[in-house]
Amino acid sequence: MRLTRRSLILGVAAALGFDPSAVPRSPGGRADAAPALSRSQLEDLVAFAEILVGDGPLSPAERDYLVEHIERRTTQGGGYYLELYRTSVGLLERLAGTRFSGLDFSRRLALITHNRLSSSTVRPEETLGRFPREVREVRTRAVPDLIGGYYASPAGWAVVGYSAFPGTCGDLARYTSSER
Amino acid sequence: MEAEVAIVGAGAAGGILALALARRGIRVVVLESGPRHDLAQRPEYVRRYVRGENPWATPLASLDRYTVGGPVPYHLGGKRARGVGGSTLHWEGYALRLHANDFRLKSLYGIADDWPISYQDLEGYYAEAERMLGVAGVADEPWAAPRSAAFPLPPFPFSYSDGLFTRACQPLGIALHHLPQARNSVAYAGRPQCRACGTCQVCPTGAKASVDLTHVPQAEATGNAQVLTEATVLRLELDRSGRVSAAVYARPDKLQQRLNARVFVLAGGAVENARLLLLSASREFPGGLANRSGLVGKFFMSHPSIEVSGRAREKVYPYRIGFSTAMSRQFAIERDRATRGAFLLEFLNSAGPTPDRIAVASGQWGEPLRTRVREEFGHWLGIRVYAEQLPDRVNAISLNLNVRDHFGSPAPHIHYIVGKYERRALDEAKEVAGKILAAIGLTDVRSTGLSFAAHQIGTHRMGADPGTSVVDVDLKAHDVPNLYLVGSGCFVTASASPPTLTIAALAVRAAQHIAARLRPASSGESTAHPAG
Ligand SMILES: Cc1cc2nc3c(=O)[nH]c(=O)nc-3n(C[C@H](O)[C@H](O)[C@H](O)COP(=O)(O)OP(=O)(O)OC[C@H]3O[C@@H](n4cnc5c(N)ncnc54)[C@H](O)[C@@H]3O)c2cc1C
Ligand code: SF4
Repeated sequence: MRLTRRSLILGVAAALGFDPSAVPRSPGGRADAAPALSRSQLEDLVAFAEILVGDGPLSPAERDYLVEHIERRTTQGGGYYLELYRTSVGLLERLAGTRFSGLDFSRRLALITHNRLSSSTVRPEETLGRFPREVREVRTRAVPDLIGGYYASPAGWAVVGYSAFPGTCGDLARYTSSER
Repeated sequence: MEAEVAIVGAGAAGGILALALARRGIRVVVLESGPRHDLAQRPEYVRRYVRGENPWATPLASLDRYTVGGPVPYHLGGKRARGVGGSTLHWEGYALRLHANDFRLKSLYGIADDWPISYQDLEGYYAEAERMLGVAGVADEPWAAPRSAAFPLPPFPFSYSDGLFTRACQPLGIALHHLPQARNSVAYAGRPQCRACGTCQVCPTGAKASVDLTHVPQAEATGNAQVLTEATVLRLELDRSGRVSAAVYARPDKLQQRLNARVFVLAGGAVENARLLLLSASREFPGGLANRSGLVGKFFMSHPSIEVSGRAREKVYPYRIGFSTAMSRQFAIERDRATRGAFLLEFLNSAGPTPDRIAVASGQWGEPLRTRVREEFGHWLGIRVYAEQLPDRVNAISLNLNVRDHFGSPAPHIHYIVGKYERRALDEAKEVAGKILAAIGLTDVRSTGLSFAAHQIGTHRMGADPGTSVVDVDLKAHDVPNLYLVGSGCFVTASASPPTLTIAALAVRAAQHIAARLRPASSGESTAHPAG
């Protein structure tokens, strides 16, 4: 499992009963002043992404890549992503009637499928249920973002069989053959 | 503050010139608009780069303001870098000599103009530049002009996909050869061997040559060169005799200071050199410093480019290295360039969508998405084309008085067109590339639209006649006795090849000339060359 220093600190903070979102970021780290998502919001988003990107529960390392992606995004776009993620978590909770990440994988899968939340396109004639604005936002913005974040990470490269990829140094001779 | 030589810009031209002068015992001060980028910062830069950010972006963003006009917008975004190392921080490292014919378009083909120097005049300086930058290559290009020295480093072997290209090219009579690069195929000059990190525009190891690593520290180590960072030159001032007496520069706090020197060298890149000359207009030079010819900023050129790609049935294993290893200059040289424009083919080692792009574009999710990414990735092969652009006076850099930078200086305005000559060359290139891809058996062959290389050329062309050029054969401004302009702004024509090795060779040559002028008795270097 791949742990970032920050996720480790967050874990310790949570175990000690602190609000992890209050843990300050390191100097030079991302967005010292930017408001962050709460730990439960992060968990809900990862639980949502887990349904989108593969066929079963993700490994801790894969979840960590998603956390990194989400945390980074929340510091970008002048608050756009933070807003998008909060909308997504709010919608998931309303549809689930409880914390989304509290549901097991099959129940989350059923909920997403039933509400067609996995499809990133919206047909013009499609009716979007009780929360059309939120559903549209989540499907057209959050779904591609989370899928893109996962497949841009080492986990995405692992899907295509690459353990080394742009950004990781390795064996210079590899590119000359058909080995991956 | 005083120096013997004041250099504006610590990029390819300025960094190389500074070292060559400092080694000859000449006191140099380099004024560099950007910051230093430490090698230790690179891992973090790489992380930002793979997320699609530009870690070289200028901290004072408004310094890079520009506007475009004309039928084709030539955008500068991502096409230059400010900082010690200049655009070599960001470059790909392809280090090609021009061909002998590239210097003689007028006499050989009756088009454009000849350079006032020949390939032979530059050959020794090319060898020196290759040695200092550490160029890896092998003399397997059938059309290459003669060389006096072997490449200092062995070539990077051909890639797996180069093998596919080679087999397709042979029956078509197209020769593919190694692409020379300023990148360590083996450890060299204190820098490590390339480690295939694949992010060459931000090299984390220092295996790719950039003058912040290969030249500037060595210049500073002589004790004769000083680099002032975040010092942007705003204008040059003249004394009564018509010589430049001071470079007026400012730090981000806008406080203006002066640097006096005997000789001034502009090495800010083709766009900024022209801009600075225009910003330095005075009573004596109302149209811009050194601009009696009216040609400062004119004849701007780049390399119009397209990429042609197609899908292979089998996997071709892209994205395992950050640079290309094979090219062909057959169509850049072997032709009647009067009617058929030169173009260069670069055989790409990375083409087609990455896993995240495939995933997002698929519109799928769950297991079908995973399967789709796995199956779809790694099937694309591509060829990038760079065409020669002929000099045209209407392509020009001027000042936009309505748009200003951090210091209140007018931004550069780029007027740009691409003519029929270049468009015909790109059409032909597309056809040639299409044939190669078809011979490999690729389907879904497609071409991108027109784009432009990050090569800015022209703007203060070299020539013997002060009426038709801005600098002479030694890169001294015709109109100002102690002002030199270096970089690709001096090029008379663009060729189809990337410019930086020629920038380097010209800088070494100009340094020799300046040193001979300042130290008539001893123009040789005072310290030994670094070990190769
Ligand atoms: C992404 C990319 C890839 C490239 N790949 C290749 C390649 O493979 N092969 C190749 O041959 N070329 C390549 N190039 C082009 C190459 O980088 C340039 O040709 C070369 O660096 C130009 O050298 P220069 O010294 O003229 O300008 P630069 O290297 O750009 O340096 C100019 C310096 O001057 C400074 N400056 C400008 N104005 C002022 C001022 N007023 N005051 C103080 N300082 C100032 C700038 O901050 C900068 O540091 C590439 C460029 C880019 C951006
Ligand atoms: S592949 Fe590129 S980024 Fe990686 S070490 Fe080699 S030159 Fe540097």
